Amino acid sequence: MAAEFEARDFHARGVQIRNLRVSYQTPQGDIPAVNGVNLSIAPGKITGIIGESGSGKSTLAMALMNTVPRPGRIISGSVVVDGIGDMLTIDKESRRRAHGRHLGFVFQASQNSLNPLRRIGAQVLDLGRSHNVKDLRALIKRAKELLGKMGLNADRVLLSYQHELSGGMRQRVGIMFALVLDARVVILDEPTTALDMLSQASVLQIVRQIHQERHLTTVLISHDMGVVADLADNVVVMYGGELAEQGSTEEVLAHPLHPYTQGLIKAIPRISGPLDQAVALPGLPPDSAALMAHGCLFAGRCPKRLPVCGESRPTYESVGQGRYVACFRVAGHD
Amino acid sequence: MIEIKNLTKVFPARKGLLGHDAIKAVANVCFSIPEAGSVSFIGESGSGKTTIGRILAGLETPSSGDIWIQGVNVTKMPQAERRRFLRQVQLIQQDPYQALNPARTIEQALGDPLKVIARERGQDSAWIQTRMHDVLHRVGIEPGSVLNKYPHMLSGGQRQRIVIARALTVDPKVLVADEAVSMIDVSLRLGVLKLLKDLREQFGISLLFITHDVASARYVGQNGQLFVIYKGMVIESGPTDQIIDQPYHPYTQALLSAVPVLKGLENPGPDRFIPLRGDDQELIPDTVCLYQPRCPFAQTKCREERPALQGTEHAHACHFPVVRRVVATVRANEG
Ligand SMILES: Nc1ncnc2c1ncn2[C@@H]1O[C@H](COP(=O)(O)OP(=O)(O)OP(=O)(O)O)[C@@H](O)[C@H]1O
Ligand SMILES: Nc1ncnc2c1ncn2[C@@H]1O[C@H](COP(=O)(O)OP(=O)(O)OP(=O)(O)O)[C@@H](O)[C@H]1O
Ligand SMILES: [Mg+2]
Ligand SMILES: [Mg+2]
Repeated sequence: MAAEFEARDFHARGVQIRNLRVSYQTPQGDIPAVNGVNLSIAPGKITGIIGESGSGKSTLAMALMNTVPRPGRIISGSVVVDGIGDMLTIDKESRRRAHGRHLGFVFQASQNSLNPLRRIGAQVLDLGRSHNVKDLRALIKRAKELLGKMGLNADRVLLSYQHELSGGMRQRVGIMFALVLDARVVILDEPTTALDMLSQASVLQIVRQIHQERHLTTVLISHDMGVVADLADNVVVMYGGELAEQGSTEEVLAHPLHPYTQGLIKAIPRISGPLDQAVALPGLPPDSAALMAHGCLFAGRCPKRLPVCGESRPTYESVGQGRYVACFRVAGHD
Repeated sequence: MIEIKNLTKVFPARKGLLGHDAIKAVANVCFSIPEAGSVSFIGESGSGKTTIGRILAGLETPSSGDIWIQGVNVTKMPQAERRRFLRQVQLIQQDPYQALNPARTIEQALGDPLKVIARERGQDSAWIQTRMHDVLHRVGIEPGSVLNKYPHMLSGGQRQRIVIARALTVDPKVLVADEAVSMIDVSLRLGVLKLLKDLREQFGISLLFITHDVASARYVGQNGQLFVIYKGMVIESGPTDQIIDQPYHPYTQALLSAVPVLKGLENPGPDRFIPLRGDDQELIPDTVCLYQPRCPFAQTKCREERPALQGTEHAHACHFPVVRRVVATVRANEG
């Protein structure tokens, strides 16, 4: 066994994101997809990031890895990963080594990240070689161990091409790739979208189990509040490229402070309880004009709007006990 | 009123790398939808839900079985006549992005089918305009705000409403909604579900609602029936809330256990269990329970005899039916 796998450190690593700005340059103008985000991702915890389509979740995740594709550009900020440094300023080679080795990433629609022309096993070896792993047999062994743990027939999967796998199997293969080099921080972007309920439950169970066994720091991105609420310790609510609210999952769900979070929770179709408690969230996410305006991004849809909300944007403030919120209605602003 | 009797669909064997056997996608499925009624189908991927919907919409022919629509046996009709008759059944698919041509405005997308109908009925372009505004109002959209727009300028929820409006142009008696809300943001889902419910109540449209999100089936209207399907067979059926509260079949219980619990708002059901998702492709002989290889509660009898669907109001196909309370309950503090 290679020493590189035996010497696992069990100190979970946190991530500090400061003043992060990412924008996409389009013919219609720049889209501020991530706009001044400040976020500390707690080591050893599962942090869920939730928000509507287009709120900037995937862009934030890619910025965390410093892999934002064109026409996107990181404009400012820092992303400091414990034990590595600032992902946005370290040299290219260190960054390349950090990917996979320290930071594991499962892309949204993970099927697209696999090479359709190579067997899964060959791709594991490619990954190992690109990270100068000496003992490739040990690497394959670990891949098998992970696949087996996820309820897959490891030998069969390693011999398969991606098109021979079902959606649920591909998601699990994506998780295997994120973990096989023993990453300490794992980012999962919509790992269960497009899966049926049973596959979703089994993927969530696997994430939960591996997270605990390996003392990982896990970031789970989803537009489905149910998924985040079931799995995450902490939840971060994104809206229009900014953070609206964060806190422990239990607290945020039981006592949401931001009117957007309140509306989002009320809009979930529920399996039990009275039907009329669920109410659709009126209105639409902010368009580019609203993003550029001075007021609160949510003001146009907000049932609790004040005159000030149309004039300036509330800052993201701590309200104690790990909770933050950007709303003029909430104490700390007056 | 729609009546489906012993619907079966076998897809022929595919020659390929893995040498597939013939697939029995739907096996002896029976159900009926009253006028303005709703029937929901839930089941995992590959269980045959879409195939049932496509057969009902005339896009697929059944291998055997009968489909009665308002007293007429559709399966006995000549193909051309059947196709015209089945326009009364409109299919709404999962992906509102693919359903609309990106190069055509909403006005064009709705105008195309309306022109065909206007020609058939000898109506003029004023009629088309009135009708267009009418169907848009029915789906809760202000015509002026969308007619000149292209699909990419609309939200997922708006797009799905347009798809529904287009289906309404032909005055359908039945809507088949196949995962119609699963690609829409959760914040917009409820609105589309309520629309389906309103269409039932206001216009007497019957609904076949296909989903793997059981919770959304509750919102297309109370008094709906829920059918749980596994490998093409109905294994439990009955009133929606009754099945959610008192599921008999371990497979239904597995599906319900898989619904995420909202920490802080809900307590997990006392009997909830972590369901197994097998990737089992192997053929299961007709002499055993279909679900037995995955069932945590299987006993000897389950490996010796296939249970038949038994019961009327609330039916199930299990040798050892036991109600398990697997669904989360709302915490008292919510409000
Ligand atoms: N390649 C791109 N070019 C231009 N704009 C982009 C590009 N990728 C994303 N955007 C824009 O950036 C914003 C944030 O997109 P992002 O994909 O990060 O959102 P998301 O929260 O992950 O959404 P989803 O839930 O749909 O995955 C959106 O307004 C989107 O339109
Ligand atoms: N045209 C076809 N030819 C061969 N097999 C098919 C065809 N269409 C469907 N099948 C098979 O029939 C079975 C049922 O498929 P169907 O699409 O009805 O399932 P479903 O319940 O809608 O699944 P999902 O939740 O993934 O949409 C599957 O095994 C599928 O592979
Ligand atoms: Mg995304
Ligand atoms: Mg389907």
